[in-house]
Amino acid sequence: MGRIDELLASALAEGRDCIGQIALRTRSEGGYRLTHRDDVGRDDLRVSQTPESAREIATYDDAGVYRPLKTAPNLRHGWALHLPDLAAVRAALEYFYPAALALWLAERDGRLQPTAMRETLGRQTGMYRVTGLLTDPQAEALVGELCAQTRCLRAMRWTKTPGGERIASLPATKFDPEHDPAGAGARVMPLLCAEMCNLVVAEARPVVKAAQAAAAAAASPAPAAAG
Amino acid sequence: MASLQRKPGTGLLLVGHGSTQNPDSSPPTHVHADEIRRRGLFDEVACCFWKEEPSMREARHVFEAREVYVVPNFISEGYFTQTVIPRELELSGPRSTRADGTIWKYCEPAGNHSSMTDLLLRRAREIAPELPEEEISLLIVGHGTGLNDNSAVAAKAQAARIAERSRYAEVISCYMEEPPLVANWDELTTAPNVVVVPFFIADGLHSYQDIPVLLGMESEPTAAASQRAVFRHEPRRLRGRNLYYASAIGTEPGFADVILDLVAAFDDKHGTH
Ligand code: SF4
Repeated sequence: MGRIDELLASALAEGRDCIGQIALRTRSEGGYRLTHRDDVGRDDLRVSQTPESAREIATYDDAGVYRPLKTAPNLRHGWALHLPDLAAVRAALEYFYPAALALWLAERDGRLQPTAMRETLGRQTGMYRVTGLLTDPQAEALVGELCAQTRCLRAMRWTKTPGGERIASLPATKFDPEHDPAGAGARVMPLLCAEMCNLVVAEARPVVKAAQAAAAAAASPAPAAAG
Repeated sequence: MASLQRKPGTGLLLVGHGSTQNPDSSPPTHVHADEIRRRGLFDEVACCFWKEEPSMREARHVFEAREVYVVPNFISEGYFTQTVIPRELELSGPRSTRADGTIWKYCEPAGNHSSMTDLLLRRAREIAPELPEEEISLLIVGHGTGLNDNSAVAAKAQAARIAERSRYAEVISCYMEEPPLVANWDELTTAPNVVVVPFFIADGLHSYQDIPVLLGMESEPTAAASQRAVFRHEPRRLRGRNLYYASAIGTEPGFADVILDLVAAFDDKHGTH
């Protein structure tokens, strides 16, 4: 058994039976049952038996719309996964919340080393190089909106500068891996954010571009109206 | 094709582009990973993406293996394989040793490899199995945009190799955004039957939505591949020819073998240690 599987086993033994929006329960027949946390008591769920089914479940929300961010709190309802062992559970979780257990293990081992926002933006190339010009106030507004717990369930581990301050526009719970991001106070396996994701980096580009355009317009005012 | 021996203590990381908009971008990468996992050649097989989770940075934590082969699931050398992937995975060359002692081996992308030629040939035959090759013009369609994108070069080289190894009336590489343009497919070809194989990794926006419009099969882009019940049925009669349109070459199940061949090619070139 690998260390990530051991982590999963010990998490369950500790009573951490939720991860993100997913509830993980043992079945009386043996094996495990994964459902949306809202669906734990339901017996009318569409049951699948393979970890790979998680891929399709995780791809679309309840309205059938593509989910570009797996840790967004819009996991589909109405399904259950019955899996024979922890290896299968781990494989399924890999599709629901990719790399989440690996990041948690790395944090427990002290290996995680989150990347500061300035480093992430500073290493971008090509069309995203311009995001290095994002100002702190712009970052506070952007991250405060896109990373809010209503948009993403991860606990943020990165700071604005190396060893520096956290994003001030987010509540303290956003930085606490023990906080249940679903707000139900359950004991959870954390979803960690070790650096600004590409979705947010991509959204930083139009913010910088718009500010540049506004600055250029202010520098060369339109000719005064005749009269 | 691939006769790779089991590699105990090693992992395989497939790096795909992924998409924040198109659900059809990443599935081929996952499906090839499933197939390779099923064969039990590596202790661990994982995927990561530029535009989806896990990110390349996150994927560095996924492996417990001491050695990881990285295969870029990209058609050709270019901006992603030469700049983005090495930067995000902190690769310093074909072989990188990290501070924790793990060794990361960076394989080449599939597009230039000889097993890709086999796969393109197989795909072309599958789509029009009943027709003699002499009555078919085969078009390999690449993306082709100038700067730092060698997909056009790779498509051209593959077309030349296929021409040598088959009896197609002609084998032509053409592109979406540079001449020879796929939009002029009927002027580029002479045979009564035209088979078009998209030289792409996934049935994403280009191969599923844009190229059919350029070919004249659709008047406007259709819904994403996954939103439609069946892949289009071939052939269709268009501009006085029989037009056969394949799915992207990267969706071919045999692509898993191409990936394994890239690992074997790495070992041949750089040794196994
Ligand atoms: S940067 Fe992190 S917290 Fe913010 S949306 Fe992306 S993954 Fe979630």
